[in-house]
Amino acid sequence: VAQLCVCDLLVAQCDVNCCCDPDCSAAEFSLFTTCSVPIVTGDSRLCSQKAAIYSLDVEANPPERIFKLIDHINPNVFCIHTANYQQALSFISPETPTSENFDQLLKQFGSATFSTDFDSWSVNPDSQISSDANGTYRYEYGVPIQTVDAFVRLPSPVVSSWCSDANPAAFLVNQATKCSRLVSVEKCSTIQAVSMLFYINSSILAKWHEFVFQVNITVQSIVVQSLNGIRTLLASSEVLRLPTVLDELCINIVLGVSYHITYTEAGEIIEAAASFVLGAITKETLSIQQSFEISFTQVNTKPVPLSGNPGYVVGLPVRAGFRPQGYPLPNTDKYGQLTILQSTSNQDCLAAAGARTPVLFGYNMISGCQLRITAASECQVLALTLLDLLKGQNFPEYVASFGNSQAQDVLDWVPITHLHTSEQVKISNVFQSSCQIPVSLEIEVQWTKYGSLVNPQARIVNVTATVTTAALNQLLSGRERIVPITSSVVFTDISSPAEPGYKARPTINIKLPFDFFFPFV
Amino acid sequence: SSVSLQILFYVNGIYYIFYFFATLAMIVYKSQVFSYPDSFLAPDLALLLIMAILEALRLYLGSKGNLTEEEAPLGLSLVLTVGSALLCVYFLAWQTYVFKADVILSAVLLFTYGLVSVLEIAAIAAFVS
Repeated sequence: VAQLCVCDLLVAQCDVNCCCDPDCSAAEFSLFTTCSVPIVTGDSRLCSQKAAIYSLDVEANPPERIFKLIDHINPNVFCIHTANYQQALSFISPETPTSENFDQLLKQFGSATFSTDFDSWSVNPDSQISSDANGTYRYEYGVPIQTVDAFVRLPSPVVSSWCSDANPAAFLVNQATKCSRLVSVEKCSTIQAVSMLFYINSSILAKWHEFVFQVNITVQSIVVQSLNGIRTLLASSEVLRLPTVLDELCINIVLGVSYHITYTEAGEIIEAAASFVLGAITKETLSIQQSFEISFTQVNTKPVPLSGNPGYVVGLPVRAGFRPQGYPLPNTDKYGQLTILQSTSNQDCLAAAGARTPVLFGYNMISGCQLRITAASECQVLALTLLDLLKGQNFPEYVASFGNSQAQDVLDWVPITHLHTSEQVKISNVFQSSCQIPVSLEIEVQWTKYGSLVNPQARIVNVTATVTTAALNQLLSGRERIVPITSSVVFTDISSPAEPGYKARPTINIKLPFDFFFPFV
Repeated sequence: SSVSLQILFYVNGIYYIFYFFATLAMIVYKSQVFSYPDSFLAPDLALLLIMAILEALRLYLGSKGNLTEEEAPLGLSLVLTVGSALLCVYFLAWQTYVFKADVILSAVLLFTYGLVSVLEIAAIAAFVS
């Protein structure tokens, strides 16, 4: 303990205010103000240990360093009197690799993750093996889906963004992952993970641990993505397309797989389908990004995703629909939702691919793009295009006021109010003959808290869509102008402060009998 | 039959119950607070259990021998006392972690064993003759 000095950082030189430094002389000690390390001891839980105490005596002239080596006694009755276990109070040093244990250490620690053995997964003694009275096994939530070889794999990024093929898909856990993979045109037919066969090769076991019933993975649809990103759905999806080299390109590379598993209430898998996105790589491509998804549906049900029950849940999409001849139709597909423009990396409005993002309850969003206008831009065409861009193809007319509003309840649907303002600060008596182009769309959703004080539910009361327009020739002050076009969604809480409701005061029901004042009345 | 030996057996029994539970609790505490690998924890717990069994046997034999005034059970009890004393020394000095409380409890137990041994030898001598 007397030799330990934590503050002695400079070799053969005196560290400032380090009273335990052996390189310091008495003259240097006299220049110190305090001792940065006043005491050096071992583990304080030992009953008796040596302690080195350093202090500065500032009374003496010049100041001196005092060094004392004392026995530090721990008064606690639970102090360690003896520790017969050598490594008890210190860190364990890891194994030093020698020629004997090198292979074993390399296998354990050699890859990007400290992997465990694949074999140990299939015989898991303390996993959720559930069997009912007949001894049949069934899948439970979170259990890896077994195939004939090992598991249904959902490659996902581990530690870095490179794909690891060892991630099993868990039953009833909807997952979506994205990862990168190293590819090259030369090795295109040898890399297993970019070929369709790798994903549909082994069949899934219908029940846990039972090899009798197996479900083949069928190919549901194939979408082919060209080099510039355009996707086409193939008409026939029966043919298995394997990676082949064609004209210095490697085609039929798997860019995305989406599994859909159908299960029964008894925990059995009865159907499995996979949809693929195939793409192509050139000689310059070094890596591709693959995306994987798995979703589960119970047999004989058609799941309708609600956005809340009954009030909206923050983060779920706002449900909207149309009202042809009487009843509003709640559209459960993406096209009928309330959506706003999605900002893309290509900020030019006219080149935008029309990507839209659904409006999620409670999340204020703002997005936009930039419009380049020249003197030659045609106003009417531009106005129509921009309105289309801002509102989307099917801008709904009604918004559901509760997360679970049904189509039959007409009163549960709130109509969208459309407002139109103009960005003009012109003299009002000048007739606005210039044509206006919409520059922004603001959707304001007003919601209130509804129901009990303890568990208030969110209810949409009012939706207003305001389109702001500006005159084209006002905007064109130079040769070419870039105008920002924005669209935003704002959620405002207009709930009135809670008032406690009291029960009605009890009334005292006293009535005089009919003939109380008998002789006189 | 020696009254003081009987009293001592009784006191020993009660003290040992306290000692057993205190040591067990301290082993549990040590396993949570310190690094106590299974290969060290298992022997400690096993020896504590063996000590409890030995103790029960020893006290029963000794008490029976004293009350019926027979030397054989008392002699056997003496031999078992030696075994228990060895185990007590283990818990005093050779355990994985020895607390000051462990030292105190084991020392008192060893002192009790010493007294019991002396009185047992005296009792055997009295019964033989």
